[in-house]
Amino acid sequence: MLQFEASVLWNAAVSEDVYHLGLTAPSDFGRARPGQFVMVRIPRAPGALLRRPFSIHKLIFDGGRRVSGFELLYKTVGKGTHALINYRIGDTLPILGPLGSSFSANKPWRRVFLVAGGIGVAPMPFLADRLLAKRLNPEDCHVFIGGQSAADLLCQDDFRALGVPLTLTTDDGSAGDQCLITHPVEAALDRSPPDALFACGPMPMLACLAGFLEQRGIFAQVSVESMMACGMGACLGCALPVRDTHAPYRHACIDGPVFDLDQIAV
Amino acid sequence: MSVDLSVNIGGLHLKNPVLTASGTFGYGREFSRFMDLNALGGIVVKGLSLEPSRGNPPPRVVETASGMLNAIGLENVGLAAFIKDKLPYLRTLDTAVIVNIYGQTVEAYAELAERLSDCDGIAALEVNISCPNVKAGGIAFGADPQSAHAVVAAVRTRSQRPLWVKLSPNVTDVTTIARSAADAGADALSLINTLTGMAIDVETRRPVLANVTGGLSGPAIKPVALRMVWQAAQAVDLPIVGIGGIMNTIDALEFLIAGAAAIQVGTANFINPSTAVEIVDGLTRYCEEGAIRRLSQLTGSLVTSARE
Ligand SMILES: Cc1cc2nc3c(=O)[nH]c(=O)nc-3n(C[C@H](O)[C@H](O)[C@H](O)COP(=O)(O)OP(=O)(O)OC[C@H]3O[C@@H](n4cnc5c(N)ncnc54)[C@H](O)[C@@H]3O)c2cc1C
Ligand SMILES: Cc1cc2nc3c(=O)[nH]c(=O)nc-3n(C[C@H](O)[C@H](O)[C@H](O)COP(=O)(O)O)c2cc1C
Ligand code: FES
Repeated sequence: MLQFEASVLWNAAVSEDVYHLGLTAPSDFGRARPGQFVMVRIPRAPGALLRRPFSIHKLIFDGGRRVSGFELLYKTVGKGTHALINYRIGDTLPILGPLGSSFSANKPWRRVFLVAGGIGVAPMPFLADRLLAKRLNPEDCHVFIGGQSAADLLCQDDFRALGVPLTLTTDDGSAGDQCLITHPVEAALDRSPPDALFACGPMPMLACLAGFLEQRGIFAQVSVESMMACGMGACLGCALPVRDTHAPYRHACIDGPVFDLDQIAV
Repeated sequence: MSVDLSVNIGGLHLKNPVLTASGTFGYGREFSRFMDLNALGGIVVKGLSLEPSRGNPPPRVVETASGMLNAIGLENVGLAAFIKDKLPYLRTLDTAVIVNIYGQTVEAYAELAERLSDCDGIAALEVNISCPNVKAGGIAFGADPQSAHAVVAAVRTRSQRPLWVKLSPNVTDVTTIARSAADAGADALSLINTLTGMAIDVETRRPVLANVTGGLSGPAIKPVALRMVWQAAQAVDLPIVGIGGIMNTIDALEFLIAGAAAIQVGTANFINPSTAVEIVDGLTRYCEEGAIRRLSQLTGSLVTSARE
């Protein structure tokens, strides 16, 4: 089932403007891969006509290995997300998904960096989980999270529970080092380079990563955002520029949202 | 009671009057995951040009009050790839496939129409003289009665297929363009395409769309579309295919009553991919409940006599 009505399992604040939302799903949602997203219709949002895209933050299991739902991590930024906080346990939301491309989590990586800026951390716990399930040693899955201040550094407990190394930075110095997250990433790249780097966050962060990853020839994938109307390849609204300015645009919803870093212009 | 939903659009028989609008349904296959495409009266595929086109730079879409603006700029795979990669799948479907065509010159429209006429599996052509998002062609032909006539006449001489002409609402009087298209040999008229619009980001003072302006679609345009369908139906003796903000069965019925013989579902496909098949079911139920044997009886049944 790609189109279904999900019931709200929980919808709780994790910081002033970020919430996690647990939703039920048919068991075949278990085919979802890290980096994929869902389109959520928010009928109670006045004026929000189109569905809104959100990354799959985690899968929810029914005690055993069967998937019974999934979780989103969302930040309130506008009419849709502000209305979303009013949904209570048992309320329903129309969902399309899972949609889009995913991070290459199934390769036998030996050392991986996960780099997230702000709400861009949303797909990372699912990704880390899959990587460890594929026998990556926790100490070889280094997570870097950057934000404006301490409250923006989300999911720290999830990563601590997985036992992975965690490096934090903030713009205002309220947690971790006061610098951009790309600084410690670049330093770590030279100390002990990974064989893959997966990132999600603001464009300037991705552009900066692209700069120094290319020189070092490290395989990297990024999840990027674009305005979307349909989420399924029908409207062609989600075009993204590519490096070659004559080549056709890529489409964030079907070719992405996860791209090899050298595929798109960041 | 068995209900007959079928309609005849300028010689083309459709099993029901519900189609999906060009540019909102991809090449059909995208939606096969959500519905039985064979339940549709027809599919109008994304606007096609002779050569592939990249379309406009992003951002290309933005939501607005009760609608959305788009400035896709007719990104499409081009004729050769359409025939090779898209048409074989469409041919397997038991529904009418209508190809929406677009050119930068009269000759380009005519050549495209001619080359498509050699292909099996195409039920009709929909000539797009109404795209607001491309510099040459599109609306440049649809806003002027002489140019509209020239395009339609050129396509008519080069193709035997049923010819639908898609009209723009961005004109002073839609009936003059409707008459030109009819005189030039159109078999049916589709209307409306999107209304030109704009949105501005007050933080940056930039237009939200890279193309500055875009086409408005969705519920916001339905009253305008209904009015134009009604006007066109009065003005010409051709079947009208009604388009604009159709979200559900009631909306579709309004268009039929106003004078449309068939309807197309556009923006609604993005919000609920199964809207069109739900409307087919809804129309069946409406006919059953109202003891209407042939849905086509509804077309143009608007009551305008004095109110009691
Ligand atoms: C593939 C993908 C995955 C995403 N995952 C997450 C996630 O896990 N958590 C999360 O909080 N957010 C995520 N987003 C961003 C999220 O979709 C937008 O924040 C949301 O659509 C805003 O809706 P709104 O009605 O609250 O805002 P609106 O009132 O519509 O707009 C408010 C602001 O949000 C921006 N915005 C609107 N729509 C989008 C969009 N489709 N993409 C990006 N920005 C948009 C607008 O430009 C505007 O500045 C993701 C976006 C994409 C494309
Ligand atoms: C994203 C998008 C792309 C479109 N592309 C085309 C196109 O290629 N050719 C065309 O004739 N109309 C195109 N249209 C117009 C629609 O077919 C339809 O006429 C219009 O959207 C009004 O209907 P609606 O309000 O139901 O969407 C497009 C509309 C949208 C929203
Ligand atoms: S969002 Fe419609 S094609 Fe990508």
